[in-house]
Amino acid sequence: MLREEELKTFVDGTTRYFEVAAQQPATIGSPYLLEGEAAMHDYTGMINVSGKREGVVYFTAPRAMLTVLLMKMQESDFSHESMRDLVGEVANTISGNARRDFGHDFVISVPSVFSGEKPQIPQPPGARAFVIPIHWRSHSAKLVVSLT
Amino acid sequence: MQSSGADRIRRLLTAGAGALLAALMALVLIVGFRLATRIRANVALLQRASLLEAYPSEVSQQLTALRERLGTLEYTGGVHQELADSVAKFDRNLAALERRPGVDPAVLRAAGRLWRAYTPVLAPVLSYSGEPYSDTDFGSSLSVSGKIFYTQVRRAELFAQSSAPALHRRLAALSTALQKRTSRAASRLRLLLSAGVLAVLLLGAAAAYLQLARSRGERAARAAEEQTRDILHTVREGLFLLDADYRIGAVWSQALSHLFGREDFAGLPFEELLRDKVSPATLATATKYIKLLWGERAHENLMKSINPLGQLEVMLDNGRGGKETHYLQFNFHRVLGPKGVKHVLCTVADITSNVMLARELNEAQESAHSQIDMMVSMLHSDPLQVGGFLDTASAGLKHVNAILKEPARSHAEFSRKLTGLSRELHSIKGEASALNLMSIAQRVHHLEDMVEELKGKSELTGNDFLPLVLKLDELLAHLRAVREMILRLGTLKDGTSPSDGTLSTPILRLTGAERPNGADELATTLQGLARKLAEDHGKPFTLSLEGLEAVPTAYLPTVKDCLIQMLRNAAVHGIEPDAVRRAGSKTATGQVRAQFRRLESGCELVFEDDGAGLSPEALKEAAVRKQLLTEEQAAELDNRSALALIFKPGFSTRAEVSMDAGRGAGMDVVAKAVYALGGRIGVSTHPGRFTRFKIALPAPSQTAVA
Repeated sequence: MLREEELKTFVDGTTRYFEVAAQQPATIGSPYLLEGEAAMHDYTGMINVSGKREGVVYFTAPRAMLTVLLMKMQESDFSHESMRDLVGEVANTISGNARRDFGHDFVISVPSVFSGEKPQIPQPPGARAFVIPIHWRSHSAKLVVSLT
Repeated sequence: MQSSGADRIRRLLTAGAGALLAALMALVLIVGFRLATRIRANVALLQRASLLEAYPSEVSQQLTALRERLGTLEYTGGVHQELADSVAKFDRNLAALERRPGVDPAVLRAAGRLWRAYTPVLAPVLSYSGEPYSDTDFGSSLSVSGKIFYTQVRRAELFAQSSAPALHRRLAALSTALQKRTSRAASRLRLLLSAGVLAVLLLGAAAAYLQLARSRGERAARAAEEQTRDILHTVREGLFLLDADYRIGAVWSQALSHLFGREDFAGLPFEELLRDKVSPATLATATKYIKLLWGERAHENLMKSINPLGQLEVMLDNGRGGKETHYLQFNFHRVLGPKGVKHVLCTVADITSNVMLARELNEAQESAHSQIDMMVSMLHSDPLQVGGFLDTASAGLKHVNAILKEPARSHAEFSRKLTGLSRELHSIKGEASALNLMSIAQRVHHLEDMVEELKGKSELTGNDFLPLVLKLDELLAHLRAVREMILRLGTLKDGTSPSDGTLSTPILRLTGAERPNGADELATTLQGLARKLAEDHGKPFTLSLEGLEAVPTAYLPTVKDCLIQMLRNAAVHGIEPDAVRRAGSKTATGQVRAQFRRLESGCELVFEDDGAGLSPEALKEAAVRKQLLTEEQAAELDNRSALALIFKPGFSTRAEVSMDAGRGAGMDVVAKAVYALGGRIGVSTHPGRFTRFKIALPAPSQTAVA
């Protein structure tokens, strides 16, 4: 069973990104368990986890949110590639936070990024996915943690 | 400790030997100086005595020479003067020997007497100052005075020749005595010097031995110091000493630095070591505890048993820029000295892995017990009922998840979720308890506890709901495990494989007329719950059920929910303890009755117990206590409104929460379920006599009935 501090590590990694990159912290909404398929937004950054836990953690956000985030970061390039880079960066921050807190217990892959197409999210058997809404300004994204 | 004592003895011995050596040397020097002085004085006296010894024969010879010169008419002035000098020297030297230590006075006196006998014969010779010769044309010859002088010289010569040996002997004896004395003094001096040299050699040897021992001791001390350093570098526990001011000493083990990520421990107050690591309350308790350790009467074993730092949860740097939870165990041992407690030895061990292992073991044990309990419950339960419950519970938890999924950003939005969650969870718990599925009931109860805790928070955020969703996941996993267990039990019963995932218990495969109807299931569940409640609360009561077969299928879940909650309420709040019932002239066994009737206008469910009834005043007091009403609002309530308080979410007359009551959710569940079907609920009571709930439900629609 996933532990609260493990879940918090992923959540903190995500909210910290907004705080550092955009100088405006994100808040989390009411977490719930995923039933059925995940509602994916436009861009998704995902890391695979193995070792002590097995599964995936991904951050999925709508284009509008990422655009405002880029603007807050003083970026002028709002291209498709910039959006992809941005969700990849968020996933990377989540990964760094997990490495810092869990060390060698967790083996974390380099982030992979999806956009547009419906990604194939591997669901580890017996693992239920936790969905944590991430609110930033008027936008909402999702952090999904699915680990055994 | 032993090393320190040996060192002290060695230092004392060294100092003693040094002092003894100095004293001996001083003694040797003083005595030697005195002996040398005496020898020098004796030698001077001996020289004088030796000189004196030569004078008698010298005087005799000088007198002879004088006489011969007079006889040959030679110049006598020189010899005469020499004689005078010898006599004067003799007198002076003899006088010098008087009253000198080492000079035998008797011998000196005897010599003096003999010398003084010379005086009458020598005095005329010495005093002669005339011209001994007279010169004529015929030559020189003795003058008259010269002739007299010659005679006097001759007489003196003869006296000297006769007396000289005796005087010489006396003077020789004097010299011999002085010589002996000088020799004795010299022998003593030699002896003393030899003894001094021997003593110096012995002391030198002793000093060398002590120095050797000291070197050996120092080597041993260095080796011990190195060993201590090795121990402090290698030991896996943090080790340090606390002084009387509760400060850390100058030495500590390297593990302490690793544990706390700092090096500046010397003189650090113990309080500072923990300040950022523990809560202020724990810090205050720990500080008090440390102070107690210095008390003379503190019993070490007793102190150990009340150690507040036996398992301390702290956040420590993980070396990668983050922090992680560790469990530290502090142990304290008093170091006693002659004047009481000298130090407190503190050991700090990182017991994180032990704690985690114990936790895992505990969880595994709990899980095993829970599974056994669950299995026993299964064996005593109707699998069909349990299967039905699992479906209901899964649906309920799905609803719980749906409540969680509703978007929320503000405190008000988060807070609104809590009431719905309570209601849903309470309903599931009630049914689980009714089926005696305590492992599920307890988990739901725990989830309810978490919800209740959140209700008390002034500012709710999504973070507060993370533990809740994790617990929900755990509960769902448990429900899955229960479901799997039912499948396995079914397999055991009929020998078929559950590989297809369907419920294979024979009773679960019954269909149509073979299956027991819902009313029977409900009756069984309620009777089982009644028995359990009576046993748990020590209040015997009977439950009579009427007309359940008339409950429309569509209403069965609601009727079940309502009856379960009302039955639990009756057992906890209604039925009085045996003694109270007897005092009130009631039967020892309580009576609870539920009756369902179909009416022309719809359906009616009456639930009644012959218990304590409801007291409007007690209800108002409870509402004020729960801060659901102010005292003024409570005072204005009429009895009817006061009775309606029992349907208010969060209202309960019980101060403490138990598995069966206290959350104020049960009657809320009933009311909401009834309202959801478009029904009404009423309550009537007579304090000390009964409480009656009357639920009116509309006639079910044809589709619902089907």
